[in-house]
Amino acid sequence: MTDPIPVRAEAALECRTCGAGAPVDEHFCPNCSRLLALGRHGDYFSFLGLPRKLTIAAAELEQKFRELSRKFHPDYYYNASPAERLASLERSSYLNDAYRTLRNPVSRIEHLLAIEGLPSAKSEEGTAKVPPDLLEEVFALNEELDEIREQRESGADAGALSVRLDGARKPIERKRDQHERQLQDLAARWDSQEQASAQDKRATLEALRERLLERNYINNLLATIDREAASLSAANLS
Amino acid sequence: MSHVVGIDLGTTNSLVAYVKNGVPEVIRDQSGDALVPSVVSIGDEGTIFVGREAQRRLLISPSRSVYSAKRFMGRGIDDVRDEAALLPFGIGGEAGGVVRIAVAGREFTPPEISAFVLKELKHRAEEFFREQGEFDFEVDRAVITVPAYFNDAQRTATRDAGRLAGLEVLRIINEPTAASLAYGLDKRNRGTIAVYDLGGGTFDISILTVEDGVFQVLSTNGDTHLGGDDIDQLLMRLVLDEISGPATLVQAVRKAVIQAKVDLSEVEATDIRIDPAPALPNGYTRRVTRAEFEALIAPLVERTLGPVRQALDDAGLQPGDIDEAVLVGGSTRIPLVRQKVADLFGRKPHTELNPDEVVALGAAVQADILISGRREMLLLDVTPLSLGIETMGGVTSKIIVRNSTIPASGREMFTTGVDNQTAVDVHVLQGERELATDCRSLARFKLRGIPPMPAGLPRLEVRFQIDANGILSVEARELRTGIEQIIEVKPSYGLTEGEVERMLIESFEHAEADVEARLLIEARNEAETVILATEKSLRSPELDEISHQQLKAGELERIRTALAELKQVMAATDREVIHEKTHALNHATQHLAEVMMNRTVREALTGKNVTDV
Repeated sequence: MTDPIPVRAEAALECRTCGAGAPVDEHFCPNCSRLLALGRHGDYFSFLGLPRKLTIAAAELEQKFRELSRKFHPDYYYNASPAERLASLERSSYLNDAYRTLRNPVSRIEHLLAIEGLPSAKSEEGTAKVPPDLLEEVFALNEELDEIREQRESGADAGALSVRLDGARKPIERKRDQHERQLQDLAARWDSQEQASAQDKRATLEALRERLLERNYINNLLATIDREAASLSAANLS
Repeated sequence: MSHVVGIDLGTTNSLVAYVKNGVPEVIRDQSGDALVPSVVSIGDEGTIFVGREAQRRLLISPSRSVYSAKRFMGRGIDDVRDEAALLPFGIGGEAGGVVRIAVAGREFTPPEISAFVLKELKHRAEEFFREQGEFDFEVDRAVITVPAYFNDAQRTATRDAGRLAGLEVLRIINEPTAASLAYGLDKRNRGTIAVYDLGGGTFDISILTVEDGVFQVLSTNGDTHLGGDDIDQLLMRLVLDEISGPATLVQAVRKAVIQAKVDLSEVEATDIRIDPAPALPNGYTRRVTRAEFEALIAPLVERTLGPVRQALDDAGLQPGDIDEAVLVGGSTRIPLVRQKVADLFGRKPHTELNPDEVVALGAAVQADILISGRREMLLLDVTPLSLGIETMGGVTSKIIVRNSTIPASGREMFTTGVDNQTAVDVHVLQGERELATDCRSLARFKLRGIPPMPAGLPRLEVRFQIDANGILSVEARELRTGIEQIIEVKPSYGLTEGEVERMLIESFEHAEADVEARLLIEARNEAETVILATEKSLRSPELDEISHQQLKAGELERIRTALAELKQVMAATDREVIHEKTHALNHATQHLAEVMMNRTVREALTGKNVTDV
């Protein structure tokens, strides 16, 4: 998935049909009621008419999605003016992106960080240093992986090595579960901070970003283990 | 106002449907047949035959006939070399370009062949509306269905075929989704549905949720080269190994095994039967049981289950989460297929609607939604394959991931690799694989006019937009200077705008020959009707008595001669001669027909009371 369209929401939209101005979160022109061009919208929450919160009831999101799909979909603008047809294509595409992003709790947090002006957690993926919180596990895992690889290449019993690899996976999985819980706690904290100071809110966002970076790192570790597991099962078959 | 229709452009058969008072109906010919075989045959004078007539000609002049053209839509010669070996027509074309089909000394692209089929459907619908007494019977707009797993090039090729047939393609929609629309009309209004669509050439699986009239596809998967054709080929190989007949027999074998396959959906055992022919003097008969047939095709049926599991996985569902399973496509009549689907989902699949017709019905519903603005139903489909561009080191960078709801957009930023670079190559890809070489190449273009800057400074943005047809357009611009590039994306396996224009002009030039072909078919049909009626009269048990009492001397002989003469010219391509001989036979039988009619009327009247008359 790619980054959302950058946050540079204009103060107002101009209706391509009648030329009147409209607030950025309006979908239809208040003057002539035609579908408005998207402009530079950047906030999926406000686009869907949702508060900027990380807890979203799935049913509510689905219902909003269907409701707006029925308003924007190109099916209903087949005989409309070119301006409205283009607006329909833009708004439908944007709605689909918004729905997809907000449906997944992790991409939802990433989007929140982006619209709150924090650098993307994804851009540092792979290049990040080992998060301090993970140093111990990463060290142990790398050592174990090296040994398993070495033994596999010298033809040791792949079945036994698989068991060993499963053992090495356990602590990483525990870490991941722990992180999931931390993310949830932080999300709940963000949702309760509506009246909090800008400084406190910022601290929560920074913490969320840290957890996401660690999460990406953990997922990369698990992917490495999966690759080794695949090599082992291939060795087992041959 | 002119009409809109829904068209199921199939590998083996095609259909057209429309919505009347909110209810979709398939359009049939006079004999009640809805299916138009997707076969095109070129006559000696270059006349184009389509459908049943072309299917008939497939047996007598296989080298002048094309079938299964859908398999070649939007594909390159390298993709199709293997399967081309089994076909009676030549497959050619430049490496990296569009496939060309060589038949009867002419060359066609797959969209042109499909356009002939579409024209036939358009004509059928127009005839139908004319007969309904409609003042404006023209059909100029259509929704056309494609397999859900069709890639961008295949969809674009289908849209081009529509244009070549003189149809404005309102929308390209996916076959399984169309089927769900047809089912959704009177079915439950919420739930999770799996549509299993095994047609002549393709397999699709789509998982949908339906809620408040919104049909939302969660995931789709499939195999664009798995279908009834493959089953036919397994059976053909079985037979061809036993008779080791010459290539001329292939079409006769194909016809025989298809019949056996169809029979085996109804009975436990049947014969594959081929009539004696010069190349096979004693003919051929082979017993095949359903058990034998099922053992033969089991691996093919098993192959459909992989995509089904992947689609479930992508939707985040288990087989048990599916509330309803729907079967689509002629190949789902096979009991083994039904069994496998029932086993997987743990429930009996829906088969209430004719699996051959349900896709066209759904396409008609969608066409109606588009022009009427009716909002009770809405179809939200997905893109079946991820789209991206090639980045450094030949790696695919995905811009829109598979199963994204369409329309969808996405963008990717990149930059230059060397100082003062003023142009970059953009390679557009479709597929799930990591390496660009393993993905489908959709297009290549050059973004030019980048102002000279140190490497890494330009901010180049590539934007993808997939429309509601699932067709991609690409834009690129340099953001730092605001210089926007208008780029022409030349499709790797598609026709350029210029080629489509040229083909359209050519099709106008051939229009006269096409009209001629149609008139010839009509003349033949008329002749056939007269022949059948005459032969029926001649078989009448009372003929001797009638002849003796009521016919003139030599009258019966004159009828027999006229009949023989008409039969003799039936195969000719001269329409006038067929007309003339039909007329002659009609004339010769006129008296006999009157006599027989009178006898029938008299017989009918004699066992009845006067009051009944």
